[in-house]
Amino acid sequence: MTIAAINEHLLRAIGVGVALLDLGTLRLRFSNDTFREWFGEIEIGAELLDRFAGFDAAGLRAGLETEGRYATETTFRLRRRTMTVALAFSRALEGDEAVAVLVCQNISRIKELESMIDSYSMMVERNTREIKREKEQVEKLLLNMMPRTVYEEYKTFGVVTPRLYDPVSVVCIDFAGFAEMVATHDPAVIVSELNDIYTAFDRIGEQFGCARIRAVGDLYIAVAGLPDPAEDHAQSAANAAVRFLRYLEQRNSSHPIQWSCRVGIASGAVVGSVVGVQKYIYDVFGPAVIQASRLRYHARPMRIVGSEAMARALGSGFTVAEAGRVELSEGEGEPAFAIAAELRPAGEG
Amino acid sequence: MEKSLFERYGGFSVVSRIVLDLYDRLLDDDDVGPFFDGIDMAKIVDHQTKFVSALMGGPASYTDDQIRKMHAHLAISDAHFDTLAAILRQTLADHGVAEEDREAIVGAFAERRALVVEADR
Repeated sequence: MTIAAINEHLLRAIGVGVALLDLGTLRLRFSNDTFREWFGEIEIGAELLDRFAGFDAAGLRAGLETEGRYATETTFRLRRRTMTVALAFSRALEGDEAVAVLVCQNISRIKELESMIDSYSMMVERNTREIKREKEQVEKLLLNMMPRTVYEEYKTFGVVTPRLYDPVSVVCIDFAGFAEMVATHDPAVIVSELNDIYTAFDRIGEQFGCARIRAVGDLYIAVAGLPDPAEDHAQSAANAAVRFLRYLEQRNSSHPIQWSCRVGIASGAVVGSVVGVQKYIYDVFGPAVIQASRLRYHARPMRIVGSEAMARALGSGFTVAEAGRVELSEGEGEPAFAIAAELRPAGEG
Repeated sequence: MEKSLFERYGGFSVVSRIVLDLYDRLLDDDDVGPFFDGIDMAKIVDHQTKFVSALMGGPASYTDDQIRKMHAHLAISDAHFDTLAAILRQTLADHGVAEEDREAIVGAFAERRALVVEADR
């Protein structure tokens, strides 16, 4: 087999479509097997460009005349498949005759891959949006459970270092006769009422910088001066507590179920941390929490009782009256103080 | 969390090969191929990508109602469905999907038979 024969054999059998065109008339002079497989049998000397839908013949002529080449794509269907073939024309000489060589590459698979990537990336984008939305919901939930600074630390390091906050004021509230209320009313009603009340407390607390830390059954604990230190923590706590009571009074006047709470407020140190591994919760512990809890037992219904440290830090704006002694820590009792708003409760915001 | 088949078999880079292979085999098959006559290539590829991805637990899922609506205008018989199941099974096997997983995927596909096969056949 001569080199020329091998060349011709290769040219015919190759997976690339090849055709030679007369440069002047753009009629077919030669085509290989692959070309014919794609575009059908075309007689030598026949018009070729008709085979390519919407072909820009003027563009081809201009390209061949100026740069000596022209490239485009054509799409057609072959046995159910959408075929996309890249057409590359280039000017050449065959002997002393000017011809155009047309090389055709099947780029259908590339087009199919492009379509698949489009389809896949759309799916992934949609998923990413869903994940983002879910993440935001989780974040919102976690931010309800812990201060933002604590959440950021938790998110970055996976743990939260316990921190001492000193001084802060802890407000501790419970409701008189809660056990009887649960027994005598529909549980769903009690839950709905508590939800209502705690939501209002949360809103009031937020207004005065006194954030809820825990609400378990009828026990509600909020802290002022955490996570950012606040000089007026005692006032914030007292302001919030006074309005908690005012809210309940107003609510009781228009609701069949009467809620009566007692409030203890203590100032001092607490430690804030996330507790638990699987079921984690942000919590605060320390003397101020224990004291506030004990002071609450000392309070009469719909009254606020504060510790000495709290009363001292309170400043103006409140009436402070001695209210006996409470055993806040082991040993002797310590003085307790009844706290109330000083000025016309009705006129105040 | 347990990995989905989609993840275990190498995610999109592997699944994409299965998708294109399945695309070729379906179009070449004279039984089910005609369903794709005259349908835009991008649409078929999109359909196959989501189909395989969903079956393997990747990022696409269809509700039964969506599947029913998509196939409502097609006269798909039980025989067509069986052919597609066989092609799917063979394609997965040729791409190295273990028999147990193959059956899980084809099983997930077979569960949707009633949604696509014409009721009165």
